[in-house]
Amino acid sequence: MNFILDGLFQAIQLLIRGDGETYSAVSATLKVSTYSMVVSLLVGIPLGFLLGHHDFLWKKHIRTITDTLMSLPTVLVGLLVYAFLTSRGPLGEYGLLFTLEGIAIGQAILAIPIVIALTATAVESIDEKLRITLISLGADKKQVFYSTIWEARYGLLAAGMNAYGRVLTEVGIAMMVGGNIKWHTRTITTAIALETNKGQFEMGVALGLILMAIAGIVNFSLSFLRNRS
Amino acid sequence: MHTPVYHLSGIKKFYNRHPAVDIKELSLHAGSITGLVGPNGSGKSTLLNLLAFVDSPSNGTILFNGRKAEPFSEAVRFRVSLLAQEPYLLKRSVYENIAYGLKLRRGDSSQYPKQVNEAMALVGLSPGEFSNRPWYGLSGGEAQRVALAARLVLKPEVLILDEPTAGVDADSARQIMACALTASREWGTTLVIASHNWKWLHEICGSVLQMFKGKIIGNGMENILFGPWNQGHDGYWEKALEDGRRIRVSTPPSPSSAAIIPQSFITLSSHAPTMKQDEHVLNGVIAQLSLEPATNTVMVSIRAGSQIFTLRIPQEKARETALFPGQKMYISYPLSAVTWC
Repeated sequence: MNFILDGLFQAIQLLIRGDGETYSAVSATLKVSTYSMVVSLLVGIPLGFLLGHHDFLWKKHIRTITDTLMSLPTVLVGLLVYAFLTSRGPLGEYGLLFTLEGIAIGQAILAIPIVIALTATAVESIDEKLRITLISLGADKKQVFYSTIWEARYGLLAAGMNAYGRVLTEVGIAMMVGGNIKWHTRTITTAIALETNKGQFEMGVALGLILMAIAGIVNFSLSFLRNRS
Repeated sequence: MHTPVYHLSGIKKFYNRHPAVDIKELSLHAGSITGLVGPNGSGKSTLLNLLAFVDSPSNGTILFNGRKAEPFSEAVRFRVSLLAQEPYLLKRSVYENIAYGLKLRRGDSSQYPKQVNEAMALVGLSPGEFSNRPWYGLSGGEAQRVALAARLVLKPEVLILDEPTAGVDADSARQIMACALTASREWGTTLVIASHNWKWLHEICGSVLQMFKGKIIGNGMENILFGPWNQGHDGYWEKALEDGRRIRVSTPPSPSSAAIIPQSFITLSSHAPTMKQDEHVLNGVIAQLSLEPATNTVMVSIRAGSQIFTLRIPQEKARETALFPGQKMYISYPLSAVTWC
């Protein structure tokens, strides 16, 4: 039990002391998760809206595939992104391997299906009567889209939180695509894995608690916004 | 002759290959009030959705003011508004719900509060009390009135109401009915109203359309008798009532077809009439009498078992025969008057 309590104290010390290595990992984590979430929300919400709002051929099959992709193994995504970004891979010329951008690409691939599937569910759960109401009040197609998204905002918030949780806590992609390079691509999760391998449980627990704190701050902020709206 | 607001030709709407609406021709004129009656599932709501351009027909064309129109076309977007049977309120305040359509039209925003307040007053909601209420803080009747105010504030050229008084309290229903008439009278709004309240419809509507199985089968003056029909020993087709009596009809196209008997073919008498060849006589009791001032007629509902027959007689005749609810009466109709759907 002691090493857990020690971890707690160490986490506080690391933060108060302004430990450079810790802050570098926190910064890398925040950067990659922000990049990947921006991309996955921009791509996932419109696609989720199309999937939830419209009827088209193969819709059920696409829905099944999207739902399946929600549980993509992070190491598989890491492996595939690595294969694409490595110097021998089709995207090797862009030099994205072992960069934060490379990790963000992998994490976006992880998050996009979650955002699509949960957005589609949120939009589907909205009553057909909303569409009728919007059209009969004079909304055009774009306004129907924006108003539907606004009406489904709580569901979309849940989709974003879910995807963010997955992105923030994944380790496979960050490790394989980022390479866990100190001061550069080391994220909190890869740092935890490293510290645990080194037997530095206290440091691992400390970083874990920081990760929890970040997740907590994001969740509380979104809940606050939700309650205000 | 003015161009009708609506002209529908060859309109069909299918859901999963099942025909929900099938209308050969229909015209509605500006400023008119048209009622739609018919049993549940007869296609009323589908037709209203087509008229409101929130849905497209599978076949056929709808001309709006002489021009072909479809959902989202500029010719109809700001001119037609539908109040659905169970209206959806946006997850916003009452004020924001009512102002939503105004904002889409990008009018003078400084006028929004005044316009919203006027619309709220029209539907009997106090702006001071209701403006800031959230969508979830309203009763069913209040929500329906907010939804109606959101349409009235737009002063639409055509206002389509789908069962506007269903499931609301009597006060709200009265207010909604009055508002519909105000829109027609003050702004010349064309009204299309589907309702089971056919007494109200016959009071206010210039024409009433009877729908059944997606088709317009008459003007609301028809009695619809559902099957199944069985062929009796004497060769006539009939249906047994709960008390053992039988309703006799002409030969149906199929045993499950619905028989349609226009009111004009039904004769009412207080004494058993002499049975004629190919005529059916049935006795029942007067279940309801109501005056229709617009046509100076009295609507008489006769209950025979679970079947209700409705017919209209001139007010004078009703007075002479001194009809009263509960009175035993005889109705008769020629079998040749029965048509099928």
